[in-house]
Amino acid sequence: MEKERLFVRLTRIAFALIIARCFYLQVVRYPYYRNLSNKNCIRTVDTGTPRGVIYDRNMRFLAKDAPTLHLVFVPYDLESPEREAEILSGIISLDRYEILKKFRRRYTNPFDRVFLKRKLTQEEVSLIEERAPDLPGVFVQEGLVRDYLLGREACHLLGYTGEVTDEQLSVFRDRGYKMGDTIGQDGIEKTYDEYLRGIPGGMQVEVDALGHHRNILGRRTSVPGNNLVLTIDQTIQDIAYEEMGGRRGCVIAMDPRNGQVLTLVSIPGFDPDNLHSFLDDEGHPFLNRAIKGMYSPGSVFKIVTETAALETGTMGEYDRVECTGEIEIADRVFHCWKEEGHGWVDIDLALPYSCNVFFGVTGVKVGVAKMLEFAALYDLGALTGIDLPGEKSGYLPGRYETDPLNLSIGQGPLLVTPVQLVSLISTVANGGNIWKPYIVKEILSPDGKKVKEFAPELKKPVYISSETIEILKKGLRNVVLFGTGGQARVEGVEIAGKTGTVQRAQRELELTTHGLFVCYAPADNPQISLVVFLDTGASPQAAAIAGRILKRVLVPEEKTGEADSNEEEETENVQVF
Amino acid sequence: MFRYFKSKFGDNMLFFWTYLLIFIGLLLLFSASKGVFMREGFFLKQCVWLVASTIVAIFIKKVDYRDFQKIAPLLYLIILPLLLAVLFFGKVGGASRWIRLGLFNFQPSEFAKLIVIVTLSAYLAEKDVKRFPVFLVSIIISGIPFLLVLKQPNLGTAFIFIVIFFAILYQAGASRLQMVFLFCMGIFSSPILWFVMRPYQRERILTFINPMRDPLGKGYNLIQSIITIGSGGFWGKGFLRGTQTKLAFLPEYHTDFVFCILAEELGFFGVIILFSIYFMFFKAVAETISFTSDRFARLMATGILVVFISQAVINISMTMGLFPVVGIPLPFISYGGSSLMISLISVILVGNIRENSLMF
Repeated sequence: MEKERLFVRLTRIAFALIIARCFYLQVVRYPYYRNLSNKNCIRTVDTGTPRGVIYDRNMRFLAKDAPTLHLVFVPYDLESPEREAEILSGIISLDRYEILKKFRRRYTNPFDRVFLKRKLTQEEVSLIEERAPDLPGVFVQEGLVRDYLLGREACHLLGYTGEVTDEQLSVFRDRGYKMGDTIGQDGIEKTYDEYLRGIPGGMQVEVDALGHHRNILGRRTSVPGNNLVLTIDQTIQDIAYEEMGGRRGCVIAMDPRNGQVLTLVSIPGFDPDNLHSFLDDEGHPFLNRAIKGMYSPGSVFKIVTETAALETGTMGEYDRVECTGEIEIADRVFHCWKEEGHGWVDIDLALPYSCNVFFGVTGVKVGVAKMLEFAALYDLGALTGIDLPGEKSGYLPGRYETDPLNLSIGQGPLLVTPVQLVSLISTVANGGNIWKPYIVKEILSPDGKKVKEFAPELKKPVYISSETIEILKKGLRNVVLFGTGGQARVEGVEIAGKTGTVQRAQRELELTTHGLFVCYAPADNPQISLVVFLDTGASPQAAAIAGRILKRVLVPEEKTGEADSNEEEETENVQVF
Repeated sequence: MFRYFKSKFGDNMLFFWTYLLIFIGLLLLFSASKGVFMREGFFLKQCVWLVASTIVAIFIKKVDYRDFQKIAPLLYLIILPLLLAVLFFGKVGGASRWIRLGLFNFQPSEFAKLIVIVTLSAYLAEKDVKRFPVFLVSIIISGIPFLLVLKQPNLGTAFIFIVIFFAILYQAGASRLQMVFLFCMGIFSSPILWFVMRPYQRERILTFINPMRDPLGKGYNLIQSIITIGSGGFWGKGFLRGTQTKLAFLPEYHTDFVFCILAEELGFFGVIILFSIYFMFFKAVAETISFTSDRFARLMATGILVVFISQAVINISMTMGLFPVVGIPLPFISYGGSSLMISLISVILVGNIRENSLMF
C-alpha cells in the first residue's frame, strides 16, 4: 500500500522543519537565549487600560478613570519578604500578615507585577519613597483609578470595581481575565463589564540590574473600554437623593412610556472610593433596596384588588359598602385604619380613602385565586429584568398560603421589590403595558461610534379594559386630591398615586412601619412614574417626598421657590394604611 | 511478562519504542517535579496511571481487534453523553475538559479520539466512501464529537478530529473531488463562525494564531518556552539541572510544554534522540498498515498513526512558536493519565493487528 507512505513522508518533512528550528534556537542563537535565561531579566509590565466612561442621558459624567499611583511588587525581586512586610504595614493600611500572604502566594509568573495597594495617598507615596532602599522589589507605579463623581448617591446604581477574585477568575479566565485585573463587582459596572473593560495591554521587557527597560520583547497596546450612556438623569438623581434627606429607603423613577429608569437611589449607601470602611456597617449599605429589598406592598396592592374586582365584574362602579370602622367576616373582626369608619364608600372613594373594609369585602368576594392571578398579570413577585445584577423576585404566595382579607390590602406572605412597584404603577399610567425597566441606553466606542443601542422592550401587554384603567386613574388622582396621599399635592403639576404603610416586625416596644408611595405625573399625560420607599416611616412622609421630587423635576424653576403650603393637618391623622 | 515483551521485540520493536518513550516521559516528569513550585505528586500519579494503563493494555491484548469493529457503535454511544456531560459538569479553570473521579480526573475527549477512529473505520470498512450517503454519514460520525469538543472549548483536540477524518477518508479511497469539497467547506464555514463570535472570543482566536498579541498571557508562555529551548544549547544543561523549568518560568511545563524540559536539560542532542525514537515508532506503526490485508485494520491503524504523528508534531511545533498554542499533549510523555492510557491502548490495537495479520 502506497498511502501510508505519504504519512511517513509528511512526518519526515515536519520533523526536518522542527529539527531545523531547534538547531537555529539551540545552536545558532544559543548565546542569546542562554544570556536571557541566566539573568532572569524578563518582566511583564501592565500599561493600564482605561475603562469606559459612564454618562447620564444628557452626557454628563457619572464615572470615569483618573490617574493615580499604585503600590506594586515583583514577587521574585523581594529580598526579605518578612522585613519588607513589616515596613509596609507601618505605612499602608494593610496588616503585616495580609501583606505576607500576598507576597508568598504562588504566582504563575513570579516576575509579573502584582498590585499590593491601589490608589496611594500623597503621604503614603512619600513615606514609601523614603524607605525605597529597604524595599527591593516594591515599586510605586502610575495607574488609573475609577472616579465616581456622584459618590454614594449613585453607588448602588453604578456599583464599583475591584480586583478579580479567585472564584471569578476560575469562571472568567477564558474570557481573558487574569490575576490582578479589574472587574466590575456590582451595579452597572458588573452587568456591562465586558463592554467597559477594554482590551488590556502590556509589554514583556528585558530589564537590566537596575530595573531599566532595555529591550521590548513583546508589546500589546491596550484598547480603552466602550462608554455607556445611561437612561438615568443626573438632575433627577440629585433631587431624589437630596429630598430623601438621608432617610433609609429608596427612590426609583421611571419613564412609564418606555421603561427607561430615570433615577435609582438606595440609602444608606457606601463610598465607592473607600469600600473597606463600610464592610462591617450594620445598616447594610451594600444592599440595593430598589431591586433586592423585598417588602409587603401594603395598600399599594389595592390597585391590584380593584383591578381584579372591576375586571371580574365582582364590584361595579356603583356598588357601595358601609364602613363602620370594623367588619365581621368569617368569625373575624377586621378593622379599618380609620376607627370611626368611612361611612358609605363606593369604588371611587375606596381607593382615595384606602378603606380597608371596602377592600376586605371586595377581596372576599373576588377570592384569593383571582387576586393572585391579577398580581401575576402585573408581574408582581417576578423579576422585572432590570439590567442590574442580583435582582430579587420577591414572593407570590400560592393559593392556600394566604387569606383574602390580608391579601386584599397587601399584607401577608406576598413580597415585592420597589422596582416591581414602579413597574406596576407605570403599567397603570401607560394604560396596560409592562415595559422592561432598563438603565443602559447605548454603548459608544471610545471614538464615539454607536456599538449597541438598547430599545425599549415590551415585556408583555396586560389586557385590562380601558374602563377599568379610567376608574383606577380617577381613583389614583383622588388619592392625592383629597385622600391619603394629600401630602403629595403640589402646585403646578397634578400627581396621581397610592400610599402604602406596612407594619414591620416589632422591635422591643416600638412599633415601626415602612412607608410607601407610588405615583405618576402629570396625571393626564404621565411622563414619570415614581416609587418612594421609606424603611422607617409612614406613607404621608413618602408622599411628601414624592411630591417635592416631582415638583422640582416637572415644574419650571421660577415656581419652585414658593412655600410648601400643604403641610398642615393631614400629617399625623393617617396612621396605618 | 518478560517473555511477552521479548517476543514482541523480535518483531518490529513496536512495544520497545513505546515503553522507551514512556520511560523518557517519566524521567522528564521526575525532573519537573523537582522544581521550586512543585506540583505535589504528579509524578507519582503518572506512575499509578502507567500501571493501570498497562493492566488495561494486557487485558485488551487478549481481545481480537476485530471485536472492536462489532462494538464500535456501542462505544460511540457511550462517549457522546460523556462529552456532553463534560460541558455541564467539568469546569476546571475556565475550559471544561475533565470529569472528576476523586483524586484522578478523566478526560473524555482523549477517549473520543480513539473511539471516533474505531467507529469511522468500522463503518467505512464495509462501505464504499465514494457513494454520497456513506460520505455524509462519515461526516456526521466525526462531526458530532468534533462540535462537542470544539464547544468545550478544546481547539487542539477538535483539530485532531479533522486530521483523523481526512486521513481515514483518504485511506478508505475517497475521491479527489470529495477531499476538495471537504476542504472548501472548511474554508467557507470559518468566516461565518467569525461573525457570530463575541469580541473576546475573536480576540482569543487572534491570540491563538499569534500569541505575541498577548505578551502577558499566552505570549508570555511562548517567549519563555523559546528561551527555555534556546538556552539548552547543544548538550543541554544536564538532567535535573534546568533552570528555566525549575524556576517555573513556564507554568505548564509538565503537561503541554514538557518538551521544553528535554530541550533545556538534554539540549539539541537530546532532541535528536527523541525524534529518532519517535520516527522509529511511527515507522513500526506504518509497517503494520502495509502488512495487513484487512480493510478495517488498515483504516484503524491509519487513524491511530496520524493521531500520534499530528500530536507529536503539533505539540513540539507549538513550544517553538511554529504552531498556535493549543492543549495537545506530547504522546507518551506529557503528564496526563487519560492520554497515556489511550495511547497505550492504541498501540496494543496496532500490535494486535500485526499479530493477526502474520497468521494469514
